[in-house]
Amino acid sequence: MNKLFFQSAVVSTVLSYLLIFVGGLVRVSGSGLGCPDWPKCFGRWIPPTNISQIPEYIDPSSFNIVLAWIEYGNRLLGVIVGLSIVVMTMIAIIYIRKNKKILFNSLLALFLVGANGGLGAIVVSSVLNPFIVSLHMILALFLVSVLSYLCIEGYKIENNDSFSNVFLSKKISFSLITLWIVIVIEILLGTGIRTNLELIAVDNPLFSKGELLSSLNNYKYLHTVLGFSLLFLSLYLCFLFRRDNLGLSKQLVYFILVMIIIQIFLGELMIFFELPQLTRLFHTWGSSWLVGIIIILYNSLQYEQA
Amino acid sequence: MSKLSKRIILLFFVIISLGFVGLFVIDKATNSRINNIGVIGKVPNFSLTNFDGEEVTSSILNNKITIVNFMFTQCEDACLIMSENLSLLQERFAQSNDIQFLSITTDPDFDSLEILNDYQRKYSKKNNWFFARGNIIDIINLSEKGFFLSAKLLPAGHSTRLILVDQNNQIRKYYEGTVDVNIFEMQSDIVTLINQM
Repeated sequence: MNKLFFQSAVVSTVLSYLLIFVGGLVRVSGSGLGCPDWPKCFGRWIPPTNISQIPEYIDPSSFNIVLAWIEYGNRLLGVIVGLSIVVMTMIAIIYIRKNKKILFNSLLALFLVGANGGLGAIVVSSVLNPFIVSLHMILALFLVSVLSYLCIEGYKIENNDSFSNVFLSKKISFSLITLWIVIVIEILLGTGIRTNLELIAVDNPLFSKGELLSSLNNYKYLHTVLGFSLLFLSLYLCFLFRRDNLGLSKQLVYFILVMIIIQIFLGELMIFFELPQLTRLFHTWGSSWLVGIIIILYNSLQYEQA
Repeated sequence: MSKLSKRIILLFFVIISLGFVGLFVIDKATNSRINNIGVIGKVPNFSLTNFDGEEVTSSILNNKITIVNFMFTQCEDACLIMSENLSLLQERFAQSNDIQFLSITTDPDFDSLEILNDYQRKYSKKNNWFFARGNIIDIINLSEKGFFLSAKLLPAGHSTRLILVDQNNQIRKYYEGTVDVNIFEMQSDIVTLINQM
């Protein structure tokens, strides 16, 4: 049964990451208002495929079949993620309720996925208020953090023998915690930049992307500076792991370094090429990966010490 | 091949595929926006009088993107919201000389040029917004036959829709003038049209 829980946690986590990708796609393609109502789309459980299917109380001029289906895809995947977390939580309650960490975090994940679904309704009714859209994403990051933690805890109860030969020294523990906190701050700064860009864009619809970027406050540079400091932090982590075998932990440390380099590259790409949508999508998605991977790494090491 | 390199290749493959999916979806969404503002019809010729006494004919629509609506100054709820929304759009597109506004009164008996002038002073911050009056029969005809909007029991029975007219006098799309979502959408459609000019 332990294995079953671990598998359900992995499925929930993978699906949630996919959901963050799809949600990002909704934001960059500007499809958030593809369905003007919630939870139904134009009053239907299956979005209309034809303009004649739109109910009378909704203005048909706002109907765009492509945008409707992109937005609805996000909602459908959200429902699937919700169901997978329900199943995972049920397994946790029935079979491993003695493990309070797992039980509590499963329930937390269930609460978060429900709350974020509800927040999705407010996103639509607020006509895509940039603050609420960003909050919707931050809550999703919170969710994948909890799920990543459940994955590694699930792995631990299933594999009692150690799978890594690195002990959690004070130094490693401290630098990992610092890395995680700085990444969270970095994500909040990045979200702030996006929020402000959208706020400026609503009031100045004719601004080019370059004009939008240059009308941001100077604190946008903080995001870049912090990005480079993350690079050095992760290099230091690689240095701490230099003597280890290429086990799971060392692979993860390298992965973090590579991800941070890719993130910096994507970030610079956005400034020089004026925010291409696909780059924005992967930059956001990459940040969610980092949050989860550090949690997995930290908790895989903690285990070694016990 | 080791387990690790297999995993890396798999990951790489998944990300590349997602990248293509992303590109495809973004491209579809962009094109759908352009296709969604197809030509609905041509605005017929008309002749009205602006609040400043100048003649307003259909030729003012040439080479500009125009947002047209029907209203009257004594109207209490819908017209106020519509006028405020138009005022907001006027402010947001103030930098552009490619956009203009035309509000046509459905109550020409009461809305004299003087009253229209007072009204426009309250909402219009730039000289690209016409407030026009004319013969009531002409206005009913223009609404019903020109813009395909019902005009029964005037003045209150006018439509609360905003009409987006392109630089070639063509009706491109209608928006509910009192609903925020539709104003938001109209704004992005105007940007799409301006970029195509």
